Amino acid sequence: MAFYIQHGHGKSDKVDEAIESGLATGVIFGARNEKLANLEKCVEWVRERNGAVLFDPQFHVSALVPANDRFLPEYPYYKVGRTVSDFVGIKRLAGYAKTTLDFEMTLGPDRLLSPTVIFDSFESKWCQIALNLADASLDYHSGLKGAPPLLLSFVIGEQALESRSELDSFLDQLTSWDALSGAYLTISRDDSSYSQRFNPERLANTLYMNYVLGHINGLEVTNGFSDFCGLFYRAVGSSTFATGWSQGLRQFHRRSFTKQKPGGQPPLLRYTSAPLLNSILLSELQQIFENGELEAVLSNVPYDSVITEANSPDDSDWNGRTSELHHWQTLSGLEKQVGQNVKTNITNLEERISTAEDLYLALENEGVVFSVKSRPEHLEQWSEALQTFREIASL
Amino acid sequence: MPLPVITEENIQQLLPEVESATPIGRGGQKVVFRIVYKADPLALKFALLPATFQADNADIDETVLRAQRETQIMQDCDSPHIVKLGSIPLGTAVIDGQNVLYFSEELIEGSALNELLRLNGPLPAAEVVKLGQQMCSAIGELWSLGKIHRDIKPGNIMRREADGNYVLLDAGLAFDVAGESISAGFMVGTMAYFSPEQFDYTSRRTMDFRSDIFSLGVTLYEAATGQHPFFSPNTSTPHLFTKITKHVPPPPSSLAAGISDAVDRIILRMMGKSPHLRYRKLEQLVAALGSLEAE
Repeated sequence: MAFYIQHGHGKSDKVDEAIESGLATGVIFGARNEKLANLEKCVEWVRERNGAVLFDPQFHVSALVPANDRFLPEYPYYKVGRTVSDFVGIKRLAGYAKTTLDFEMTLGPDRLLSPTVIFDSFESKWCQIALNLADASLDYHSGLKGAPPLLLSFVIGEQALESRSELDSFLDQLTSWDALSGAYLTISRDDSSYSQRFNPERLANTLYMNYVLGHINGLEVTNGFSDFCGLFYRAVGSSTFATGWSQGLRQFHRRSFTKQKPGGQPPLLRYTSAPLLNSILLSELQQIFENGELEAVLSNVPYDSVITEANSPDDSDWNGRTSELHHWQTLSGLEKQVGQNVKTNITNLEERISTAEDLYLALENEGVVFSVKSRPEHLEQWSEALQTFREIASL
Repeated sequence: MPLPVITEENIQQLLPEVESATPIGRGGQKVVFRIVYKADPLALKFALLPATFQADNADIDETVLRAQRETQIMQDCDSPHIVKLGSIPLGTAVIDGQNVLYFSEELIEGSALNELLRLNGPLPAAEVVKLGQQMCSAIGELWSLGKIHRDIKPGNIMRREADGNYVLLDAGLAFDVAGESISAGFMVGTMAYFSPEQFDYTSRRTMDFRSDIFSLGVTLYEAATGQHPFFSPNTSTPHLFTKITKHVPPPPSSLAAGISDAVDRIILRMMGKSPHLRYRKLEQLVAALGSLEAE
C-alpha cells in the first residue's frame, strides 16, 4: 500500500520534496550514506511530516570485500571484513542482533529491520547464516518491550532464484516461524549496471516469493531497491516497495557496495515513461518529440511540465534532480493503481506491458532508435515471468 | 504371525480386576476390547510383539517404544479431542505362547469417521467445519508439545455418541520434531493421507504441524464429498505418490452439493503442496473455519 524512498548517497533535498509533496509515504534510510551524527535529524524531519521511517542497517556490507562502506564504520554494530568464522556460534549471532536492533530502537523507526548477509544460493552457508541471524533477531525482538514490528531482512542474489525447490524449502522455513510478522527483501541484481532486464524464471520466482509471504501468509513484505519491478511485487502481495534516486540506487547492485576503480562518467539523463515502462534517454525522448509522438510516452505526472512547457526535451531544464523526482512520481502513480486482487493486478500488468510493446513497435517503425538499455526486451521477459508466475501460483 | 486369539478369560487372568471384556475392533496386529475395570469402562488395546522380542530388551523394541510414546502423549495432552490414557498402564504379557503388549485408554462410545462416511455418506457442511475445528484443537495440543501426529485420517477419528464431538486416536506414530525418531528411515503412517513432505525422508526433520494440516485437509475433503482427493481402488502406489505431490484435486463443491466457495478455498489451501502454501498458524485455520459458521 505504499511507495518509499530508498535513501542513498547525495540526498540533497530530494527526500524532503518527495515526502512533502506526498509522492512517497516513507523513507528507508541507509547507514552507509548518512553520518551517524546527522541521522537523527534526518529521521526527525521525516517524522514531522508524517512520513514512515525505516532504517536499513546494511549489516551485509560487513561481509563484502573490499567494502565501500562510507559512513558504516561509525555505526556501533558494524565491523569491516567479517568472514564466515565471524558468524559461528549462537551467542555471537545473538550479539549482532542485539547491537543492531538496539541501535535501530534509538531512532524510533516504524519497523525494525534485522541484520543480514547477502547470499547467492539457498543452499549456501551464507543463506544459513542469514537464516540464523533472522532467527536470532526474532528471538531478541520478542523480548523488546514496546518495539515496533520486526521485518526480517534478506538480500538475495538473483541467481539463487533459479531453483524453485530450494526457494520452496526457504519459504517453508521462513513461514514456520511463529513470531514472524514480515520481511524486508532485496534482490541483488546480476547486471552490473542499470537495466530493466530480468531473467524471466528468476523474476517469476521472486514474484512467487512475494506472493507466498505477502498474499498467502499475510505477512508484511517490503521490497528494497525495487524500481519498476516493485510494481510487480506489489501486484502479487507485497505491501511496500522502495527505490532510490540515481540509477545505481534504484536497484541493488553489489558493485555499489564494493570499492571500484575511480573514474567513469556521470549517467546520461533519463526520462521515465509510464507508457513504455522504462527509463529512456533524454535524447530518445527528443527523437520521439521530433516524430510528433511525445504525448504518447509522457507519464502524466507533475514533473512532465518541465518537458511540456519547453520547446522540446532538448531545450528543457531537465536535469538529474528533475529526472530523479520524476522517476518517483511515475512509480508512485503506477503504484496507486495496484489493487487487492492478485489476478486482476496481473491482468492489468499484462495489458500494460502489451500496450508498451505496441507503443515501442510504433515508435521504432517511425524511426526512433533506442539504445540497448532503453529497448523493449525487458517487456517480453516480464511478460514471460508473469505467465510463469500464473502457472506456479495456479492463478 | 497373527495376533493370538485373546479371550475374556485371558484378560481376567492378566488383570483380575477386569469385570468384563468384549472385543470391539481387530486389525492384523492389534485387538481392542471394551472392558469394565474397577467399575470404569475402558478400551484395552493388545498388540502383537515381534518374534524377536525379548522381555529383557523391551526398552529397545520398536513396538514397545511406539506404545510408550503413544501413552506418554495421551498422558501429556489435555485436549478433549485427543483420546485420554486409561488407568491400566502399559505392560507386556505372554498369551498363548506369544508376546503381546497392552495398555488402556478412554473408551470412546461412538463410531469411527470412516465408518460414518461409509454408512451415511458425506457430512453436512456444518459438521465438516466442526470436525475441522476440533481436529485443529488436537493438532494444536500435539504441536504445543513439539509433536506431529503423522497419521490423521478418518479411521483414526471417532465421533463420540454422547456429545457428537470428534476425538483423535492413535498417537503412536506421533513424531517428536526435536528428538530422534525411532523409525528413522522408514515412512510411517497411512500413505493415502500423507503430506507431500512425508514422502521425502530428507525433509522429515523439518516437518511441522502443517504436515498434519495437509492430512486433515484430505480428511475434510473426504468428509465433505465422500471421495478421497487422490486415491481410488485402482490407484497404484507410484500413482498415489504423484497425485499427492503434484495433482490439485477438483474443488469439493464440484463433487458434492451444498459446499461453498469458502469451504473449497479452505480445504484446498490445507492441501497445498508445500507447507508454505498452507496455514502457517492453526489460529488462522480455526478463524477461517469459524467464519464459515456465520455463513
